[in-house]
Amino acid sequence: MYGFEAINANNGWEISFLGICIVFTGLVLLSLAISQLHKILDLWENRDSYIQLLKDRFNKKNIPNEETAPDIIVTDSTRESARQFNILIKNMNEKYFPLPKLIKTAKSMGLMRPHFYLNQMLQIKLIIPDGSGFYYWEKNNHKKIMSKE
Amino acid sequence: MDVLLMDFFHNTGYYLADYRNIIMIIAGMVFIYLGIAKDYEPLLLVPIGFGILMGNVPVFRGLGLSIYEDNSVLHYLYQGVILGIYPPLIFMGIGAMTDFSTMLARPVLMLLGAAAQMGIFITFLGALALGFLSNEAAAIGIIGGADGPTAIFLTAKLAPHLIGPIAVAAYSYMALVPVIQPPIMKLLTSRKERLIRMEEPRIVSKKEKIIFPIIAFLLCCFLAPAALPLLGMLFLGNLLKEAVVTERLAVAARNSIIDTVTILLGLTVGASTQADVFLNYDSILIFVLGAVSFGIATASGLIFAKIMNLFLKNKINPLLGAAGVSAVPDSARVVQIVGQKEDPTNFLLMHAMAPNVSGVIGSAIGAGILWSFIK
Repeated sequence: MYGFEAINANNGWEISFLGICIVFTGLVLLSLAISQLHKILDLWENRDSYIQLLKDRFNKKNIPNEETAPDIIVTDSTRESARQFNILIKNMNEKYFPLPKLIKTAKSMGLMRPHFYLNQMLQIKLIIPDGSGFYYWEKNNHKKIMSKE
Repeated sequence: MDVLLMDFFHNTGYYLADYRNIIMIIAGMVFIYLGIAKDYEPLLLVPIGFGILMGNVPVFRGLGLSIYEDNSVLHYLYQGVILGIYPPLIFMGIGAMTDFSTMLARPVLMLLGAAAQMGIFITFLGALALGFLSNEAAAIGIIGGADGPTAIFLTAKLAPHLIGPIAVAAYSYMALVPVIQPPIMKLLTSRKERLIRMEEPRIVSKKEKIIFPIIAFLLCCFLAPAALPLLGMLFLGNLLKEAVVTERLAVAARNSIIDTVTILLGLTVGASTQADVFLNYDSILIFVLGAVSFGIATASGLIFAKIMNLFLKNKINPLLGAAGVSAVPDSARVVQIVGQKEDPTNFLLMHAMAPNVSGVIGSAIGAGILWSFIK
């Protein structure tokens, strides 16, 4: 047997295709593994400093919560808008959101003077920047404000 | 007296020789010439060439002299080839010599080593189309891996009767890499591409180098267990080298062991090319397919490098694709030479070693796959 007939009879196409795929899979897996190897080693060698960094970040996150317990006077209208913004943000279903999107949603929901109240939310630290251009809703502060009602 | 003299004369090579022995002896001399005068893979071509001379001195059958006679010394030495003992030992030596740093620094270049293995599988198809049996076609295809020990190992397992022509073809073309590759490289790349400079690779830590052979061995051999004898020894050799505390063993592996085995392998493979066994139509076809497979392997690596450049921010010099052909370090050296012809200040050798050594791993995986599929 010769030609395509011989190739077909010996499963040549299948063997070749699978062979190339397996060689590629093996070397891709290996390249992925070794591309991460130095990162894993770095993480392991500097584990103490990474753990310390994590601890610091965790503490930083908690300290402002304690410190930023809103001291400013919170009126009933502020509480009401806080309640509305809380519902809005829940409906947005995003833990971190950009402010323009929040204002757009507030406008579309018919919230009065959204810029003004949004500014208030920022002042009483109900809406807090995450440092990368996005904001999040501070639930603990919200509870405190509502509990003073 | 006359009868004794005539008997003696009838047993001499001068009487027993035919034109085929002469052809093979000339071929052996060419091998030795290429090795010594042209410096093409001298460590391989000289023992193989001399082995061809030894195998083609016509001997009287029954005296236990021929490599194919059970009680001959050469036959015992040849068992290392037939049983697949020499290739893994050579791989251990290669592992103990190889520095995988550039590959660890830029793992994406490993894909070029994988791409060049297409030569194996396309040649396999070609051999099937030319009427070879599937086990013979697989053994011929592995010539495209450009890795002598791998080719011998697989052929010993699948088609031992073809060891002579396949080993000679594989080593001949490996030696001729500086002749075969450059025209293909120039044909498939533009001057602008050949001028691309590579980024400096990052420094690789000692720990990475020590952990690499263990991870690589486990990942590859779990995927293709049939590659275990070759890859196991390759990565053992590399671990011995990188572990530092085993320096004595690494020195033995990369010096005395590999040198001894190379002599025995070269000599016996050469001696197995006895004219009556070697000079036939199949051997000619194997040589043609071998040349084609080297060409395809080189072209596959180059084309794949160009495809990668479509997606990479930092372009790679496509010449590196040719180094995926795992003739270590010849194909990497060819990349350096061709690159420097365009720009003498462009140093590609270090970068080319990455696809080059990954090609060794790729061809061993390829051999393992073919063995497990065909057996």
